[in-house]
Amino acid sequence: MAEVVQHVVDALSLGGIYAALTLGLGLLFSVMRLVNFAYGELIMAGAFAMYLLQDTPLLVLVAGTLAVTIGVALVTERVAFRPLRGVDPMTLLLASFAVSVMLQNGARMVFGPIAKGVAPYPFLEQDLIIGSVRISVLDLTGVVLTAALIGAVAVMLQKTVLGMQIRAAAEDAEMADLLGVKANRVIAAAFAIAGVLAAVATLILIFQQGAVSVTVGFLPVLIAFVAVVVGGLGSLPGAALGGLLIGATTGLLDAALPTDLAPFRDAFLFSIMMALLVIRPQGLVPQKEARV
Amino acid sequence: MIDRQAAVGVLRRYVWVPAALIGAVGLAWVITAIYGDLVVTRVVTLALLHTVWVVGLFAYSGNSGMMSFGHVSFAALGAYATAYLTIPAGLKPTVFPDMPGYLSWLLDIQASFPVALLVSGLVAALFALVLAPAIVRLAPLQGAIATLSLLIIVHTVLNNWTEVTRGQSTMIGVPADLGLGGAAIGAMGAIAIAWALTSSGAGLRLRASREDAIPARAVGVAIGRERTVAWVTSAFILGVGGGMYTHFVPTFNPDQFFLAATFTIVAMLIIGGMKSLTGALVGAATLSALSEVLRRVESGHIGELGLPAGSAELMLALFLLLMLGFRPRGLTGGREVPWPGLLAGRRGGGVLGAPRGVRRERRSET
Repeated sequence: MAEVVQHVVDALSLGGIYAALTLGLGLLFSVMRLVNFAYGELIMAGAFAMYLLQDTPLLVLVAGTLAVTIGVALVTERVAFRPLRGVDPMTLLLASFAVSVMLQNGARMVFGPIAKGVAPYPFLEQDLIIGSVRISVLDLTGVVLTAALIGAVAVMLQKTVLGMQIRAAAEDAEMADLLGVKANRVIAAAFAIAGVLAAVATLILIFQQGAVSVTVGFLPVLIAFVAVVVGGLGSLPGAALGGLLIGATTGLLDAALPTDLAPFRDAFLFSIMMALLVIRPQGLVPQKEARV
Repeated sequence: MIDRQAAVGVLRRYVWVPAALIGAVGLAWVITAIYGDLVVTRVVTLALLHTVWVVGLFAYSGNSGMMSFGHVSFAALGAYATAYLTIPAGLKPTVFPDMPGYLSWLLDIQASFPVALLVSGLVAALFALVLAPAIVRLAPLQGAIATLSLLIIVHTVLNNWTEVTRGQSTMIGVPADLGLGGAAIGAMGAIAIAWALTSSGAGLRLRASREDAIPARAVGVAIGRERTVAWVTSAFILGVGGGMYTHFVPTFNPDQFFLAATFTIVAMLIIGGMKSLTGALVGAATLSALSEVLRRVESGHIGELGLPAGSAELMLALFLLLMLGFRPRGLTGGREVPWPGLLAGRRGGGVLGAPRGVRRERRSET
């Protein structure tokens, strides 16, 4: 029983991280048809901010990480993606791939190729013991934090003027533009929100892993991308659903795979996702014509 | 008169482009063989090996318009297949001390290098055929992400199946017997196969679907089937190319078939011009030359100081980004080698692959 609860918390914590990432990616795709591979480098930038700030109080570290990811998100939008607005989605995807390689190698020039350690704050390393169940404070914080953040973003999208404009632009950018929605403002806002989501995912992810390197963001974001596609590219609820699903699947695989197969976890994970795509090429929450 | 026109038409459609490109490869071979020192020969050989990979990627991505980030895994499959077949039998027990019993036949099989390359290509093609149902039905963006997952799957397996693949340890014992000539012949073969596909009916239908899927489907193009043909053919080229690569390096591990290699061949194809075979060659040549110059600057051979590690790749990525912004169709603009005007009696544009190529082709047939 205790073990089951632990696995559930693990899966929820992973699912929360992925849902935050998928929502960020989904948001960017919705407002400007951008499949943003450079999203992983927001995580990388946030992670290096954490590395540099690790001896400061928690509040400074969180603020610094937020500032860096939002900053990098806005700069990439302004410098790389705004000039390319309106080109076909495949060119945008390739451009984001180039931006990703540039940021990664820029960081490699500054920090070197070797992974660096980030020690979590002592209170995060403690375990909460309820009866026979041990839950790490970090995992629990992660679940609560990501759930709160996703909820906040959902409320923001539904209830505020900015959120309504973002949804309108996602639905039909041209129409929204005609009705006076400022594309620059909406897209910059989407990038900023994506930056916040990335920062929270980074904080939890890096404290869990305890190390940062230039490639730290690649795999989580790739997993998140597959989740977005499985959830249904272009649908925000689909994105969040895909994130939760892939977190849960990862947790399940961690629990179910025998030790000698454990290193192959990602291969299993991606195979399952590809199998899902065979069954539903348009994703779980289909948005547009996605198959031929 | 009509016969002559028909002959010129055949020449122009089936022979001119591959002949010109194969001639260019031959010229590079001859010039390098005569004038090149050791370093230049090595750089040109590597460029030709990259050409095989990029031409293979073009066979699928160029014709179908579907970008693939997974093609390097076909090269990886070919590389390991060639290694199993050509590492001398006497060495194998040392190289693979922990090979599990059910795969012990891998220690016994042996083939000559050309046969091994053929088998490598076929293994990659078979793997592609199995995956085809999952890949060919997807829309471009979904397809890009699915092929990237394929790359991760293959890399994870190669990296962790240590008893069979040596995992992160370097593969040793592969004979280093591929030189400039072998690489040039390989590139010529890849060009011939890719053009055979491009100028075939399947290639024409596929490019029609690339330009506009819905009308193509309306006139009866089975997009999935045509994409499968191109996907499997290009996997074959990559499989052979991966095998060739092992006999050049000749030590490698799974990391050589991962993101850096993927970025390189995708950038080569985009920068050259994704929609033409000529573009694949131009991109491979341009980027090979550029990255060699950048590498020398980075290591301090040119200029005084040298730059921190990573700056060469950063510059290449910046180049790709600028190309996407200012010349998204690539250096060739997606056109093939122009048909020389004096033969046709008029100034020729592209034959196939240019944006209007499909339409132009149809007109010349009716």
